[in-house]
Amino acid sequence: MSGTLGVARTHLVTALRERVTLFWFLVFPVFLLVLLSAVFGRIGEQGGVQFEITVIDLDRGQPREFSDLVLGLFSEMAAPPQEGGEPLFLLTLPPADADPVRFLDEERRQLQRGGRAAVVVIPDGFSRAVTARLGGLASGTGDAADDAAKLRIHYSQGTVASEMAAAIIEQMLAGVDREILRRFGALDEERAIRTETTWVGGGDAETSYIDFLLPGIILMGFFTNGLFGIPGSILFARDRRVLRRYWVTPLGVPRYLLGLSIGHLALCALQFGLIFGIGRFALGASVSFRSPAAVAFLALAAATFTALGFLIASLARTGHAGMAIANVLNMPLMFLSGLFFPIAGLPAALVAIIRANPLTYLGEGLRAAVGVEAGTTSTLLLVGVPLLWIAVSSAIAVRKLRWDVAR
Amino acid sequence: MNDDRVVLRVQELRKHYGEVHAVDGISFDVPRSSVFTMLGPNGAGKTTTLEILEGVREPDGGTLELFGRRLARVDRTTKQRMGVLLQEGNFEEYLRVREVIDLFASFFERARPAEEILELVALSDKKRAYVKNLSGGQKQRLALGAALVNDPELVFLDEPTTGLDPQARRNIWSITDDLRAAEKTIILTTHYMEEAETLSDLVCIMDHGKIIASGSPRELTLGLGQEAMIEFGAEGLAEETIAQLRGCCKAMRQAGDQLTVETEDLVPTMGAVLQWAERNEIALRNMVVRQPNLEDVFLSLTGRRLRE
Amino acid sequence: MRAFPALCGAELRLLLRDRAQLFFTLIFPLLFILIFGFLMADVGEVSARLGVYVSPEANGDLLVSVVEESGARSVQMFDLPALLRHAVEAQDVDFGMEWDGTTLRSSYHANRVTENATYQQIAQAVASTLELRRQELDPVLVSERYDESERQEIRWFNIMVPGIIAFSILSAGLFAVSGHVAAMKERGTLTRLLVTPMPAVALLAAIAVVRTGVVFVSTLITLFIAWGAFGLYFSVNWIQYVVFVIGSTLGMMGLGTVIVLVVRRASSAANVANILAMVMLFLSGVYFPLEFLPPALRALSQALPLRHMAEAMRYATGVHDMSVTHFWVTTLALAALGLLLLPVLAAYVVRGERR
Repeated sequence: MSGTLGVARTHLVTALRERVTLFWFLVFPVFLLVLLSAVFGRIGEQGGVQFEITVIDLDRGQPREFSDLVLGLFSEMAAPPQEGGEPLFLLTLPPADADPVRFLDEERRQLQRGGRAAVVVIPDGFSRAVTARLGGLASGTGDAADDAAKLRIHYSQGTVASEMAAAIIEQMLAGVDREILRRFGALDEERAIRTETTWVGGGDAETSYIDFLLPGIILMGFFTNGLFGIPGSILFARDRRVLRRYWVTPLGVPRYLLGLSIGHLALCALQFGLIFGIGRFALGASVSFRSPAAVAFLALAAATFTALGFLIASLARTGHAGMAIANVLNMPLMFLSGLFFPIAGLPAALVAIIRANPLTYLGEGLRAAVGVEAGTTSTLLLVGVPLLWIAVSSAIAVRKLRWDVAR
Repeated sequence: MNDDRVVLRVQELRKHYGEVHAVDGISFDVPRSSVFTMLGPNGAGKTTTLEILEGVREPDGGTLELFGRRLARVDRTTKQRMGVLLQEGNFEEYLRVREVIDLFASFFERARPAEEILELVALSDKKRAYVKNLSGGQKQRLALGAALVNDPELVFLDEPTTGLDPQARRNIWSITDDLRAAEKTIILTTHYMEEAETLSDLVCIMDHGKIIASGSPRELTLGLGQEAMIEFGAEGLAEETIAQLRGCCKAMRQAGDQLTVETEDLVPTMGAVLQWAERNEIALRNMVVRQPNLEDVFLSLTGRRLRE
Repeated sequence: MRAFPALCGAELRLLLRDRAQLFFTLIFPLLFILIFGFLMADVGEVSARLGVYVSPEANGDLLVSVVEESGARSVQMFDLPALLRHAVEAQDVDFGMEWDGTTLRSSYHANRVTENATYQQIAQAVASTLELRRQELDPVLVSERYDESERQEIRWFNIMVPGIIAFSILSAGLFAVSGHVAAMKERGTLTRLLVTPMPAVALLAAIAVVRTGVVFVSTLITLFIAWGAFGLYFSVNWIQYVVFVIGSTLGMMGLGTVIVLVVRRASSAANVANILAMVMLFLSGVYFPLEFLPPALRALSQALPLRHMAEAMRYATGVHDMSVTHFWVTTLALAALGLLLLPVLAAYVVRGERR
């Protein structure tokens, strides 16, 4: 075994034996993958989010058909769906013997405290008002003279769940309105609008979230590995005078660096295997990384973050300082890259960071390479910006990296 | 000019840091198969000299000849034939003992089998132990093993037993003896005078960047021209009482309650001391009669002790 | 006890000089706020930039008037469908609608998975309203919203800031013990202090006081930045706020104590604390609302202190409502956790390190 491979093996083996490293580089990305896909992958899906709501029927009048219609609709949405999962609403109705008005007050208080997402109130006389409206339409006196029958949605502004529930309920009720008009014959089905949906920027369907997320998580894994793993290795070995023992042998710095890089890339490969494996076999991702372009971007990413790691190592005087620098860079670069959050419509300063961030280009390039996104950035930039980062980081590191603590 | 009997020749070696002359024009030869010791207090320049010889620093002046080759600085080729035990250093905590040896073996073109090395430094039964679970003495032996993995002709031992307990120290000494028996050349630095005397063939004493004396331990101590030293403790002596003693011997020094009398002629001087004690009714404590040692040599040359 | 003020002074100086720690206590929350302020300001908001193309044979005015009422943030007209779709792809607009008189075609960016649901809702609302208007119908029933929150306008970011403040309190308290005290023990600084007549409790109290003070200042800076940079307003109940900061810092020091007792090796304690903090951060409703979590995880989050701390902090800053009892129970429970474990921590500090 040559010295280079000896160093590579050492780097790999010690990383795997240190439980902390193991956690951050393997367990944590998987945790994020599973969590984010469980959370964000469910929005907009059936059986995704669930809201606790209350519907209170205050309508004492006759006929009741429209109030019953509304009630029936909510009950339907609260029933367990046929394909399993959870219903959209967790429905509370006033108990038979309760005073509805007092019940309403209690529910409103619950709403304020976050116990309910929304409280729907069918006011007294609702059904009659709807009937009257329809009557007005039929006789042609409908001039919006009679106001439309009103339903009340009590919600808590600023609470996301409440806002979402209110929006969904509004839509449901708009659908009821349309349905009533249609049944009544006022709405001409023949002239109804057709709606279509198209998707741009990817395949011909909406990208599944896990397919969107997986390349990002893999890159994040490489990113934290390079940002923390490389400086951590070099700096702590230097501080503890482990490197010093190497320099009195014929090993030499270039061989050490090469070995370190190889060991690091092996770790990245391990990361990739684990994250991809879970994404594919446990979470149902369908993206494939087999194309040459995908392999190329993966390799480019690993190399970029390795160089970044060397840069950090050359800027820090001690291991702890290095970790601090890595932490400062970690969050901004990770979140201002379009990997996890949309980056449209941001102020200029942040956009500048995004455009300078190699992770932005690598993310877009990798997603394009696995067929999730047909991005708009030119290949030149996608490859060129990371290469530039590699060049600059290496140049600085080569000049500034100190290989021994001061004696 | 290839004198096969000399492994290392240093001439007028210099290294300065700004105004400070850490190594101020030193010259010495290290013969093959000898143990060559550099002795001196902290800051004498031993470590800097060693660092130059190990290839860690470049000299500012002078010449360096290793294995018959003139060198500006110690290079990779030379390092193939050297083994270095650093004064300060660590190994990766999560490597096993055997893995450390294998790693260092991979740095050289030729290396001895790991099992042999572990046997040599008595770590065979610890070969699967993690570095982080080793004791201080075991770590030092491991470092020695790593320094010997390439079967080097020239071995540098920089303060090899500092901070070790007596048992561990004796272990290292015994390994050093084995190396010497195998005809290795050893360059040792230490500030333990006892170590220098026991292990060395040649000693050079350094102070303030210069060599102030060199030779075998025996030559150096004989050079003092003393036959013996008489040491004892005595409390509460008045100036005049002490002054009485000065006349009877060649030299005398006092450190607190401890007095040391140097003499060329032991028997009469001993008698004089005992009479002086009896006359003045002085209780002598812990009286020791010993040979002069390197400490005494250093003291006589510099007026200071080796360990201030 | 003269030792106490002297210890406080020393602890404060130590903390201010430890730049890494200072960074995490002061700057890190700010970085979070600044980045997330921009990134997540629109989460949950129904606000979109809409692109519209109307083909020449269709009546554009009707569509445009409906769209303008829909609550979309801005409407941009395009002369060609291809241009509109390109704009969607380039994310110059959030989604697009094409109207040719009979068909309303909506186009979305395939990758904006987390936001498309909202856009589709807007599109559906537009479609319903358009349909009625086109046939000159007025709705038979409408829904009206009643805001029960009794607060002025609040965005998700308002809710997020107290969560981030709660997290910085958690970090400060946790690492005061799992990081700082554990490191002192490992380095041997503790032993040197404890062979003096100084009681261990004095040292711990000094650490608690200094760290609580510093984290309090940092939370104020955070609130200030949120107000200054993003125009967020919080109606803070100062008594509740101060008591909560103190109580929860103590509580988190208690949690840190549990960690160092379980983990043994001081250097590992900091790592374990770090991991716990990270995991909690994702599961406590700070980054995204709890409602988004699957039910199993939502139930788990009930056991996480950060969830309750975030909720209490939201209450104290006037962003959210809870019963007063609930708030005080939370605060006092946290404080109790810290105070009860204080003697345990003192014992840990004093006993010899097992090799």
